[in-house]
Amino acid sequence: MQEIMQYIPGDGIFHRVHPFTKLLFTIIIVLLAVLTSDLILLAVLLLVVFLAAWAAGLGRGLTEQIPLLLVLGLMLVLFTVLTMHGGEVIFTLIPSGIPFIGGALPVTTGALLFGTILSLRFAVMLFAFQLLVVSTKPGELVTTLRQLKMPIDYTLMFLIALRFIPTLQREGIRISEAQLARGYSPGDGMMGKIRGLRPVILPLILNSLGKADTLGLTIDMRGYRRGRAQTEKIVFGSLDAIVILSAVALAAVIAGVQIL
Amino acid sequence: MIRIEDLTYTYRNRDIPVLKNISLSLPKGSMTILTGPSGSGKTTLCRAMAGILSHVYTGKATGTITIAGRDIMAYKGIEELSHDVSMVFDDADAQLIFTTVGEEVMTSLENRGLLRMDAENELTRLLDLLEIATLKERAPYTLSGGQKQKAAIAATLALDSAVLILDEATSELDAEARNVVFSILRQLADLGRTIVLVEHMIDEAAAFADACLLIEDGQITASGTPAEVSRRIQEKLPPITKRSGARGGELFIEAQDLVHCYGDHRAVDGVNFTLRSGEIVAIVGENGSGKTTLVKHFNGLLKPTEGTLRIKGSVCNGQSISTLSRHTGLVFQNPDTMLFEDTVHKEIAFGLKNIGTDVHCIGSVLAEVGLAGREDTNPRHLSRGERQRLALACVIAMDQEVFVLDEPTTGLDLAESLQIMEILMRLADEGHGIVMITHNPGLATAFADRVMKMSNGRFISSQEV
Repeated sequence: MQEIMQYIPGDGIFHRVHPFTKLLFTIIIVLLAVLTSDLILLAVLLLVVFLAAWAAGLGRGLTEQIPLLLVLGLMLVLFTVLTMHGGEVIFTLIPSGIPFIGGALPVTTGALLFGTILSLRFAVMLFAFQLLVVSTKPGELVTTLRQLKMPIDYTLMFLIALRFIPTLQREGIRISEAQLARGYSPGDGMMGKIRGLRPVILPLILNSLGKADTLGLTIDMRGYRRGRAQTEKIVFGSLDAIVILSAVALAAVIAGVQIL
Repeated sequence: MIRIEDLTYTYRNRDIPVLKNISLSLPKGSMTILTGPSGSGKTTLCRAMAGILSHVYTGKATGTITIAGRDIMAYKGIEELSHDVSMVFDDADAQLIFTTVGEEVMTSLENRGLLRMDAENELTRLLDLLEIATLKERAPYTLSGGQKQKAAIAATLALDSAVLILDEATSELDAEARNVVFSILRQLADLGRTIVLVEHMIDEAAAFADACLLIEDGQITASGTPAEVSRRIQEKLPPITKRSGARGGELFIEAQDLVHCYGDHRAVDGVNFTLRSGEIVAIVGENGSGKTTLVKHFNGLLKPTEGTLRIKGSVCNGQSISTLSRHTGLVFQNPDTMLFEDTVHKEIAFGLKNIGTDVHCIGSVLAEVGLAGREDTNPRHLSRGERQRLALACVIAMDQEVFVLDEPTTGLDLAESLQIMEILMRLADEGHGIVMITHNPGLATAFADRVMKMSNGRFISSQEV
């Protein structure tokens, strides 16, 4: 089973640069994705993230997420088309020939464009963040966040989220096996499938809530919230400079295109 | 070291106190076992000694607790207390916060204020001590239950506090690993640490501990040496009834040279196994020896990589879980992995509806597992032992020929474990075949017809009892 959002050991460019560099790279990319709403620029950003992943030898980890992202993108487009209208009407989901409701639910160019932009933006952010997470040991990431004077509670929150993603994945499989052993069959059709999730999702949520008490007590009793002193200075190499400079250059290009 | 005087405690929004007039004194350098039925107040007493009741929870408390002469209320909070008292909780998974075992223990060492070099040395020593040096770079989600417990214990030992409390922190370890942990605790006690250990299987820990307290219904009802208290508990147990039904009837399960690989790892490596009607077979063995992987084949959750599996004579290598689960019911280790409905009745009806069976049998099934009349109770409000029996009821209501139970007594006390065994014996007498995986060698030899030991994916011994 492939665990999502987990560190993959390796020796590519992204593994060798300082976590701070990667953090800065990710922040710049995410900011650019939020600030621009140009379809082409977003596509370029996505391409840059993919090229960076490919150069870092982490391309496979990202391409595995494409099916999931396509589904999310389609849903985003669908929701915007249903809820937003603007520009020209391309066609209506309910043909105009039908009495009373005919001509309802128009699909407009504005909504399609906006939905696509949202999906692309989402893809850029997700991939950029994933690139950071798969190439950085969580411990190093936490140390860097501490060096940047990030409050310990937020750092712990981030760490715990990363730590429990694969645990929840596995717990989900265990629960689903236990229900399969009771003759449970996931339902048919979209609604059936959603209803069929109940016997798996409910125990998963209830068990997770049950862990919260122990987790909180452990954090206090092991003194994690005191935080350890961070005396080490961040040391950059030439590779770090290259990665940061390319991100800044990209930002400059995008800013230039936007203004022109 | 720890002195409690006349402690009574009631949780918030409850009327009945969980602890009633508890007084005790645990000297420095002592190792004490706390035992008693589940729900009797052992965990609450541990949390009282760790200062959690005084500083985190908002229940009603009377009486005093002192640590080395200092009133627990005089500490500023749980963080200051953590310099003197540390605790390992029963849920190991929730106590591993970092993404590798090494980081987990290292962070505790650094929080203790050790310098880098000393911390590295201490890390190596602790991992070696608990025999988990090979797990240093492993992430928590890749560990077995027992390995997680060892990691949680190592991270807590790293704090090197004067008082160490373990609340059922060894429940998922095999007998050998438990002995390792107990002897480490004994050495720490000899070095002047004060150890409190909550345990159901006190006979195993008896040789290491100085004293034992029996807690029943929120009160200390017996205290003395572990052997004395153990005798008291044995006296109160109901006599074990002998089985009457015929054993060794129809052949239900037959596995020949069964192999299961996860990637390159041969988790089950050429196993021959048979189970007949009326038989109870216990499978024992260390964590990771392939026990669970093997039994998952019997209801089709896993398919053999090599070898053949016959259920009632017909080969069923490629058959799906929906077909095989009509013959074999499987109860997983933790009942909470399957309970999701809001009443006991609905919970059992879920499985029956899935296979299209009538729900009229629910009342009698509940009576069979000692939960008669509890149809409308919320499963999450039941005690651990009751939930385990409910999980069992959910499966036996489906009335398959074979029932497989993975660690059916983990986290249960002796009386509750015996209740489960009685149910299994009755099912065997009715002609069902029973397979049970267990870490409790005592239960295996007392109740099974055959005890089979697994190691590295193979059976290394089979013993008729």
